[in-house]
Amino acid sequence: MEKTENGKFEGLTETDQEYLADLLKQLADDDYLLSFRSSEWLGLAPHIEEDVASASISQDMMGHASMYYGLLGDICGRDADDLAHFRKPADRRNSILTEKRNGEGEYLDAPKYDWAYHVVRNLYYNMHKKVKLDALKQSSCSPLRDVAAKAAMELYYHELHWRTWFIELMNSNDDAKARMTAALEKVNGECADLFHLGKYAEDITAKGYIAPEAEMKDSFRKEMEKVFGQTASVFSFPDAQKENGRLGGHTRDLEDALELMNEVYGSVPEAKW
Amino acid sequence: MEAVTDMSESGKYEAFMKRIEDGDKIEMDDWMPDEYRTVLIKLISMHGISEIMGALPEKEWVPKAPGLGRKLGIMAKVQDEMGHGQLLLRVSEDLMKPLGRNRADIMDDLFEERLKFHNVFHMRTHTWADAGLIGWLVDGAAIITQTNMLGASYGPYARALKRICAEEVFHAQHGESIIMALAEGSPEQRKMLQDAIDRWWPSLLMFFGPESKDTTGSSKQDATIKYQIRTKTNEELRQSFLSKYVPRIHSLGLTIPDDTLRFDEATKKWEYRQPDWKEFKQIIGNEGPKSQDRLNLRRAAYENNAWVREALEA
Amino acid sequence: MKITPGSVRHWKHKGDKYMSGTFYNEYEVFSKRAPDKEFIHQFSLTAPNDEIAKVMAQENFLRREPVSDLWVVRREHILTLSEGKKHSLKRLDNKDYRNTKGYGYLRKKWRQYEQNPLDEKEIMGWAKE
Repeated sequence: MEKTENGKFEGLTETDQEYLADLLKQLADDDYLLSFRSSEWLGLAPHIEEDVASASISQDMMGHASMYYGLLGDICGRDADDLAHFRKPADRRNSILTEKRNGEGEYLDAPKYDWAYHVVRNLYYNMHKKVKLDALKQSSCSPLRDVAAKAAMELYYHELHWRTWFIELMNSNDDAKARMTAALEKVNGECADLFHLGKYAEDITAKGYIAPEAEMKDSFRKEMEKVFGQTASVFSFPDAQKENGRLGGHTRDLEDALELMNEVYGSVPEAKW
Repeated sequence: MEAVTDMSESGKYEAFMKRIEDGDKIEMDDWMPDEYRTVLIKLISMHGISEIMGALPEKEWVPKAPGLGRKLGIMAKVQDEMGHGQLLLRVSEDLMKPLGRNRADIMDDLFEERLKFHNVFHMRTHTWADAGLIGWLVDGAAIITQTNMLGASYGPYARALKRICAEEVFHAQHGESIIMALAEGSPEQRKMLQDAIDRWWPSLLMFFGPESKDTTGSSKQDATIKYQIRTKTNEELRQSFLSKYVPRIHSLGLTIPDDTLRFDEATKKWEYRQPDWKEFKQIIGNEGPKSQDRLNLRRAAYENNAWVREALEA
Repeated sequence: MKITPGSVRHWKHKGDKYMSGTFYNEYEVFSKRAPDKEFIHQFSLTAPNDEIAKVMAQENFLRREPVSDLWVVRREHILTLSEGKKHSLKRLDNKDYRNTKGYGYLRKKWRQYEQNPLDEKEIMGWAKE
């Protein structure tokens, strides 16, 4: 499929558009939700310099979400802002890992956010994203290839950033190791759907939009084993979990997140902001 | 010229004042009078910690910002505030290093309420218009006080301010963009904006501090002027703010909640209703509407993450 | 404006007082804007170790400009001059012989021989020939 003058996706059948839209929702919603969760850490990180550095990563992720929503908008004829704000939880395709809250407490009222969880979640997510972007760079869909190449350029730093924190904390004192181990367990309960490709998984891969789940999981395992090789722990990855975000199954945390994120945008109908 | 270490105390002081008068820049390892160091530590720690505390009221609007572009803009802005805090605290930390103090002590001083933060950051934000107004007018006021110190005699502070002011230009425009959309928006949006101005006006006047220490009992403006850290007085800065912003506010068809506000052509000065300076003292004494909430948020985050700092201690 | 005080103070400080202070190691950051440019000093940051310092540097000081290379240096490894030693940097303004300024008369001379002077502008321009 090639770009045309009238639209990036012209010439696609309706079913192809549906497959592609489902994949784009997975990619866009992932970055959108985890960018939001990361931005809740703004001003609250363990170190001021880290606060500044990781805020760039949250912005980059929101930027990537914005590119994917743009493509999705080209397919379904909707505005990127509307797609980000107004879609209901059942229509969201993000992984459970990206929607879970940062810890106990609300972001304005004595939050007990867990930095260990933040580091582990981001390492898993970003390594998964690296594998996925590598696959998307080979996609049969050229607009997707272009966006993947752009996102991959920035992802290099994101992955390095979280890998560094992960290795440093895993190799520090006993207290930190215990917290990181607990965080690994928590993440293991929320990440099984990361590579799941949703209800059209077979069609999406048959069309060559992205590599098959098993193939990507295998690359992921190899990458993660390299990282864990620099610590005293062993990598493991779960097979299944209760909800599958790629199929529209979500937790209460997603509803809360969307409500907060839409509060102003949805407050005055048809308004420009 | 003889080495500084060989001089008598008064000789050192005279040489130091001469350097300042000649427009030389003082660096962190240079000899400086104790008073100069003390004044700088106080000023820059307060400035730095105000940036850190100032991130909080705007942070409240990061997830709620309407639209992807607005979400990105305000994220970048709050990040900059933290970044300004980083720059300023580094300058302050280097000044207090010979006294055996570091960032942990600054945070301690904040939490134990020995170190105060700027009056505007003790206030509640109510709507998205407050987020826009902070960018437009609070950052506008900050640009006026900060550009006034760009020529500061202390080199590291002047250099930090140069970086900060460059970014403040983006902040002001970020604020203007939000304000403009509201001003040109629906009646609800315009009302949201007018309400925000009405709410924030007294805080904006207080921003520059009292005219003299007769107003509130203390003011550090005299020493900062003597050592050429700043040039203009609090009142001169406030006048400059009024000249720049009153016409802009009016041009958008918005009103200012002060019927005595006028420019006196004879004295070339703005006349305005004084804000309640007793209230100002209360606010900067951490008794403002959101003082303790924001301090508690900062305290909770700091303690909650103490294990990370402990784990990475060599 | 009426003040309604926020929630009451409930601070009992544990803090970092017992720490030795090595979490806040000082680093200086230098960067290059483009491959053909020189390194310039940006600012300083604190970090617990070299690895963390390296991943902090760019985003703290270079969020809005291109960067082609980065140096992060532990401050204690930088040799500095004390205030007194800075006097060793001063010198007289009598060294025209080190600059083209001291040879300005050549311009006139070459004209007499009907040749163009090979000044700095001319010579540096040869790079593009």
